Amino acid sequence: MPALSDVASTLVSGLLLGGILGLTALGLSIVLGVMRLVNLAHGALLVLGAYVGFYFVGFTGIDPLLGLPVIALALAALAIPIYRFLLAPLAGRGSEAQMMTMFSVSIILENVFVLAFSADTRSIEIAYATYPLQLGPISVPLIYAIGFVISAALILAVHLLVSRTAFGRDLRASAADPEAAASVGVDVGRVQRLTFALGAACAGVGGGLIGMAFQFSPSSGGPYLLNSLAVVVLGGLGNVMGSFVGGVTLGFLQSLGGLTLGDGYRDLVGMALFLAVLAFRPDGFLSRGRGV
Amino acid sequence: MTQALAPPAIERATSCNVITEAILIIAVSAALWLAPAVLDDYGLQIGFRVLVYLSLAEGWNLLTGYTGLVSLGTSCFVGLGAYVAFGLLNHAGLGLPLALAISAAAGAALAGIVAPALFRLRGLYFTVGTLALAELVRLLVVNLPMFGGATGLVLQEDPPPLPDLFHYALTIALIASLTIFATTRSRASVILRSIRDDEDAAAQVGVRPYRVKLAAFALASALGSAAGALQGVKLGAIEPYGMFSLQWSIDALSMVLIGGVGLRLGPIVGVSFVVALGEALADYPEAHIAITGVILIVILRFAPRGLVGLARRLIGAA
Repeated sequence: MPALSDVASTLVSGLLLGGILGLTALGLSIVLGVMRLVNLAHGALLVLGAYVGFYFVGFTGIDPLLGLPVIALALAALAIPIYRFLLAPLAGRGSEAQMMTMFSVSIILENVFVLAFSADTRSIEIAYATYPLQLGPISVPLIYAIGFVISAALILAVHLLVSRTAFGRDLRASAADPEAAASVGVDVGRVQRLTFALGAACAGVGGGLIGMAFQFSPSSGGPYLLNSLAVVVLGGLGNVMGSFVGGVTLGFLQSLGGLTLGDGYRDLVGMALFLAVLAFRPDGFLSRGRGV
Repeated sequence: MTQALAPPAIERATSCNVITEAILIIAVSAALWLAPAVLDDYGLQIGFRVLVYLSLAEGWNLLTGYTGLVSLGTSCFVGLGAYVAFGLLNHAGLGLPLALAISAAAGAALAGIVAPALFRLRGLYFTVGTLALAELVRLLVVNLPMFGGATGLVLQEDPPPLPDLFHYALTIALIASLTIFATTRSRASVILRSIRDDEDAAAQVGVRPYRVKLAAFALASALGSAAGALQGVKLGAIEPYGMFSLQWSIDALSMVLIGGVGLRLGPIVGVSFVVALGEALADYPEAHIAITGVILIVILRFAPRGLVGLARRLIGAA
């Protein structure tokens, strides 16, 4: 039986990491909501964000946290041509063709990572990452708390963007009914393009934070894609703040699973939860997805 | 409404070409049965791979091309089949044919167990559900000690010689082809396609979507498990990262999409293409997969009915 303070620290770490999961899931969720696309390259984009951070910090030597905006811009800049040349031409051909295209993008990216960066496991070096943050008996690495705060702030920013701005209004209209939105003058193509870019940026920043807190390798994307999907299911599709709640919940449950069953079961908790929610309470997931 | 990956095929089944097809399948299989007498080891290895992939691809085509269920869960059934076969061969002392049959039944049984959850999910969500299922089963096998963890299991007896393995693979592929033949050249094909094209409308005219989808899913899963079991036996030792690798799902879907989804000749053309490409790029595995991805994107964009559809269009245009 581990000491109580260790248990508490692990659970708090789980909650904090859950915030980062919430950010990556948010990217998946908005793309799913607006484009009816399960972006199967989401995990690969996340890993790409980590690589961009790794090399940017390596070349410039600046604080990795300052590299995050660069990651976001790089991923958004990559996402726009992907949308323009790969996804837009498939519009109207059903959602499977787009999904399979993104699946192809993900296997291309994963293998290009191996060819370009080798299969080595890496992490973004950050001097104060392991510095312990003490709160009474609870001790968590500082980077977990930083990642949580940044993720929470970005999720809040996206929430405000979606709920308070003109673009957000167009976005919500496009998600609810693209044809009706187009008929009242919303440029649905533009909304989808920007949403896809925003989704990729969320994945990239999440990947950067994960690269600082953990290690990553070319094949790390798969588990993060599936965990993000689990968060989307938990939080409810297209629900921005739901992503945050879902992420924190999953992070907590994963830590709990790791503590009680062993570390190998962390990811398993996410998958089991995912399928269980789908099987017993699919409403959150399906209420907007029906008719796809 | 579930939109299929490709527009509906117009394939008229006349009684004449139905009989021709049946005769063709059996004649080709009979001729291939004699292949070990003339082929060298390399030829048999390639032949074995083509036949195993063909069994997977026929199942995936039934599921996706004819029923509209896009699965990323092939690896789950391949791995399951291998582990079940190893358990039966090592601990129950069964012969290989029976072990293969029970592995196939296990695949169908797992499909039946997960169907109530997965079939709540339409379209994209079904795909995501199969992906999560594959990951869940893989993680279970990695973590549960009875499956040998990350090191896996070793077959206690020696695998059969290559010509015998080839014959087993040929048998599974023949069963796959005949099953798909029976379901796509009969009234069943109309039922399957009605579900693919509009599940709700099909239900209103008396089709029972759940049963039909379950039958297609169970058949495809049984084929995947039998193929996986035979592949595992050939290897003689299995571990979860290989047998449950997503690569199996990538292979199945890329072969069918490249060949022609929903087309009778799609799987064999796609399998031949992918195996040939794999041989050509055998020394560059990463480049091979990346190039497969590029080909898939191009096919999805410009030839939604794959190489077979492309060939038909060119012949039709000429």
